[in-house]
Parts: sequence; structure tokens; C-alpha cells
Amino acid sequence: MSSLLLKTLTKKEEIDRIIRDTIDEVLVLRFGRCTDTVCLQHDDILAKSVTDVSKFAKVALVDVDSEDVQVYVKYFDITWFPSTVFFFNAHHMKLDSGTADHTKWVGAFHIKQDFIDVVEVIYRGAMKGKMIVQCPVPPERIPKYNLLYKDV
Amino acid sequence: MKKPSKKSEIEYCKVCRLHHDHGSRHKYFPRHKYLLSTFLDRFRTKIADVRFFLKNPSVLRPQEQSQNRVWCVFCDEDIVELGSSFACSKAINHFASSDHLGNIKQFLSKNGPAMDCIDDFRITEANVAKWEKKCQSLGNEDASSFKGSCEQLSGTSNDIHNKLAFKTMDKIENVPAHHINVLPLQYNTNEYQISHSELPGVAHYGSYLNMDASHLPLRTDPPTNLPGNGFGKHSIPFRSKDYPSNQEEENKQIKGSYSSPVMTSISSSHSSDACGNVHSGAPPPWLDANDGNSSNVQLNQSDMSSFQAKIPGKTRKLNPNRVGAAWAERRKIEMEMEKRGHAMNSKVDADWLPNFGRVWQSGTRKESRKEFEKEKRKLIKTESISTESEPVEIQPYISKRARRESGENGSG
Repeated sequence: MSSLLLKTLTKKEEIDRIIRDTIDEVLVLRFGRCTDTVCLQHDDILAKSVTDVSKFAKVALVDVDSEDVQVYVKYFDITWFPSTVFFFNAHHMKLDSGTADHTKWVGAFHIKQDFIDVVEVIYRGAMKGKMIVQCPVPPERIPKYNLLYKDV
Repeated sequence: MKKPSKKSEIEYCKVCRLHHDHGSRHKYFPRHKYLLSTFLDRFRTKIADVRFFLKNPSVLRPQEQSQNRVWCVFCDEDIVELGSSFACSKAINHFASSDHLGNIKQFLSKNGPAMDCIDDFRITEANVAKWEKKCQSLGNEDASSFKGSCEQLSGTSNDIHNKLAFKTMDKIENVPAHHINVLPLQYNTNEYQISHSELPGVAHYGSYLNMDASHLPLRTDPPTNLPGNGFGKHSIPFRSKDYPSNQEEENKQIKGSYSSPVMTSISSSHSSDACGNVHSGAPPPWLDANDGNSSNVQLNQSDMSSFQAKIPGKTRKLNPNRVGAAWAERRKIEMEMEKRGHAMNSKVDADWLPNFGRVWQSGTRKESRKEFEKEKRKLIKTESISTESEPVEIQPYISKRARRESGENGSG
């Protein structure tokens, strides 16, 4: 169901195009697999919220199993799925959620409102010129994970 | 440390018309200040009406006594002119009284602005004394003419200003025509002109007179054409010669108007020019003059809208300090050029990477990109090295002696 509403990107060119064509809006890129259960839950939240944030955000899914996309998987240091990366005017937006990785959101959102709040905070921060914003989601709803440095 | 705000008793604010527990702070609230200014302005207009009668006392007829009433907001009482012979006499006496002054002070201290506006809401005793003198002089003059005017004017009017107009007309009747060259303006200009126009087809049904006694300018020059009125062919007869005859017309008009307020019809032949009208589908006169300009304006607007539509996204000005603003502007221009058909560099470099701050990296984002590209190159080199080496064929081990022997056998 979510694939009907959200675009799934499988090539680097498509990702480049969507990053370059999204102007003055937040671009949400979800890196994950459509077969993974957590990814499915995450995609469900994204699909339900896409209309609510449509005026200031765009959402797209990236299939991590595609070979063409591996360069981005490495570039963005994606080790957990699903991982959500935020862009604004082709600039990466960081999100300080209290976890080890500020460059992306790892895991699924619990509720729709959390995702909308995060996108809104990113949009507001970006419009003010901030490259990193504070996450508005309360800590109990932020997924926890261990970040490994080069498999250590 | 902030002191906890003391909760005071619930009070009712007459100005804001609500209950509150703000205590004495309430009068400083901006909403209260705003409502207070409108509240006092309304009362000022009422006082202004009463002051008018202070300067121009007029006789109050019995049938209008019940209608001539004023509510005093400071004293919370209704002042009805029952049993008074002059208009607003009880109101004038009330506003001059000491009780009223006391109530004003109390109100202003509780609700309001500074005490310097007390005089706006009261009448001084000196003014009252003057008014009383005028009333006395009036009382002597009007004893005879009062009854006559009552018979003439049968209609009732709720507007206290009309009383003054009746008064002036009564005066005019008694004054001989040759003594005066000017008349106070009794009616609103348009109605007067309409009712007195001698155009063909005009039916004198009488005019609905909205008599506003506050407009009493004395005209010295007989106006020939009043601006903005197409009926200015016949001037208002303010000339002494025409006065007696017109006075009768005026009286007739008055009679007709107060018995039944009826509109005056306008001759259609005069109003409809050769140009046509709304019913005939003619264009309005303001567009005729601007024919060329309006079309140009429309074109410009359409140009603007098309130009704005070309630029995607919001038309309002965005923050120039937002993230990636310079890049966004450049990109917008590129996209516009592409849409127009210019062959721009639409092909994106395959190695293009967005601005990204990596996880295990310190320094600027450009450095992270450079670092990534280094890693990529290293990876490619190692891969190429591995692909360039030929696949080794596994062969069984042949000893040196066996090779020598096979070599000798071959040579021998």
C-alpha cells in the first residue's frame, strides 16, 4: 500500500534527481527493505503522513538491495534499516535525537505525529539557516541502537 | 523569586461587560483600554448632542418628551425629559450636578484613563446659566408661534435634531421675506434639489427628509450648480425675490413628507444619455475612459501571473539565509531555462554527491566528501587490481629431475 503513495528509488540517478529537484522543501529518504517488518511499519507511518506534510516535505523510499544505490549506503554510513535521511535544498539536515548518530533517524516512528513533528522541526530549522535541529520526539519513543565503528 | 499573584474577588467590569478576578490590574489590560476608549467615545457623542441643545435651546413638545431621553453611563440612570419644557433640560441639569461629577471621578478612578478628561463628560455651571437665559428669552418669543407649528407638523419624529429644524422653520415663517437674503440649509442637498427641480416628468411626491439639524451653514451665495449632481440645472432658490413662493412649496413639501415618506422619482429622459445604461448593456462610464489602460493593465497582470507560475514553489519571498538558499536560486533558474527549452547541462555528473556530514568524520562537509571519494578510489583500485590479475591455473607439481629428463628426451 505504501508503495502506491511513495516513490521507490532504485538508481543513483533517480536519487540525484529527486535531491536536486526538491527545492525549499524537506526531502525524506528512507533507506530500507520493503520486506522487513520494521521497514513496513515505518513505511506505513510515512504513507499516512505524506499528505499532511505535502506542503513542505517530500517522501521517497530507497531500496537498499539495489546495487546502484550502494554508493549512497556507504556515503551515508547506513548500517541499520530502516534509516531515514533528511535533506533541504540538497543539503543534509542533521537531527540531534540523543542517540549516537545525528546524521539520520534510525528505526521506525511510533506514531504519525512524531514524524510530522520531526519534519516540521527540520523545516523550521532549515528556513532559519540551521543545519542541525533538536528532535522533538520524547526519549521513550526514540529507537535505541548501538553504533559500531568499522565493525568494532 | 516571583511573588505569587494574589487572587482578588470576582468583579464585573462595566466596560468590558465581563466578570474577572484581575482586581485593580484589570484597567491596564489593553483590551480593557480599547473597549474603554470606544465606550467613552459613544458617551461623548451623546454629550455632544446635549451640548448642542445647550448652545441652541429649543422648545420640547409634550408628545416628544418621552422620546427625548439619555442614559448616563456614570450614574447608571435614564434621564427622561418628562415635564420639561425645553429639549434636554433635565439632561443638562444632570450633567451639571455634583452627583454626576462624583460618579465620573469614581468611574475614572476604577476603570479608566487619567482624570483630565472629566470635563468632556460634564457641563459647567456657567454654561448652564447661559442656557437658562436663552431659554427664558425663547420662552417669551415662542408663546405665540408654538401652537401654530404644532398644527402644521402632524408627523412624529424620533430624532431630537428635527426639533431644531422645526424651530428654524417656524422662525422663517414669521420673518418677513425682504429682511433676509439667506436661509439656513434645512434639508440635505440632494433631496431638496430633487424635490424642487422643475424638469419635465418629475413627480412631486415629496421627499423623504432626513433632517440633520447639525448641518446649518448659512449660505451667502446662491449656488447654481452643486457638484456631482446632474440635476443642477435649477438652483436652489435662495434669492429674496423667489422666497415667498418657495416658502409655500417648502411647507407643502414638509406636510407631504412627514405624513408619508415617499421617494421622489427621477426623470428617465434626463438620466439616460445616448450612451445607454445598465439595462441596455452599455459599459460603465469609468471603463470607457480607461479602455486602453485597462486592457494594458490586464496584459501586464497576465504576464506577471505567467512569470510567477513558471517559478515553482511559493511566490512569497523566502528567507535568504535559509539552508541552501544560493543553491536553490541557481537551481530554480536552471529549471526555468530547461523548461523554456534551452539546452542546459541537464545531465548530472554520475559522481555527484549531495552535501552530507558523515558519522565518523570531523571537519567540514566538503572534507567528508573528499574522504569518501578517496575511499572510493582506493576501493576501485583494489578491485581493479584483483580483476586485472589472470586466473591462475592449478597444475600438478613436476620435479626438477622430471623436467630435466623430459627436456633431454625432447632434445635427444
